[in-house]
Amino acid sequence: MVHALSEARRALKPGGRLIDLRPTMRNRRVELALSSATLFIGEIDSSITFSDHVVANEALDAALRAGEFRLEHQTTFHYLSDLDTLADLRDFQAGLRRSVMPESIFERIEALLAGEPAGALIRVRREMLIARYRRI
Amino acid sequence: MLDMLGGDVGCALEIGCGQGRLTAKYAALATVVGIDLPESLPAAGRSAFPERAEVAAASAVALPFPPEQFDAAIFSLSL
Repeated sequence: MVHALSEARRALKPGGRLIDLRPTMRNRRVELALSSATLFIGEIDSSITFSDHVVANEALDAALRAGEFRLEHQTTFHYLSDLDTLADLRDFQAGLRRSVMPESIFERIEALLAGEPAGALIRVRREMLIARYRRI
Repeated sequence: MLDMLGGDVGCALEIGCGQGRLTAKYAALATVVGIDLPESLPAAGRSAFPERAEVAAASAVALPFPPEQFDAAIFSLSL
């Protein structure tokens, strides 16, 4: 991380902007939007990735302390993946690299969809961090 | 997300461009050079990337660019 930040700084013009976009240290949440309400179904366990965030934060803190960058703005937002069917959720699961989606999520959605009119939406919600730094 | 870039950027380096999903969005505000490790880039080549983008296989810790070339550097889920 430290080396990547140093390289980015080298490639940036003085006063250039550095953008850091990454998930926060919170698990994705799976929801089911029915005609009557939106239900929380379960979490996708991404805890194995959280140590990466700690290392990234430490590298950024060190760069700030060294006067290499200045934090201008940071915020969080939710990145939503809307899926129409359980098969789509299976495809989503297949694309996960370092996260685990428990089978109970599929079982619960399947049970809730039984008897539900078409049009329910499966939503995966992920909290993202975006920050802008200025190269000094 | 694009608001964070702070308007027209000029030339931006996207570190961790992957399959180019975000590159297309950044290209609305900048000429983009996307880099990623070879195994993370699309097998079919650069067709997924917008015209206003270049793509290169490179590591974030050894950027193949001269100093002070870019107006912005974007770590796309890669820091």
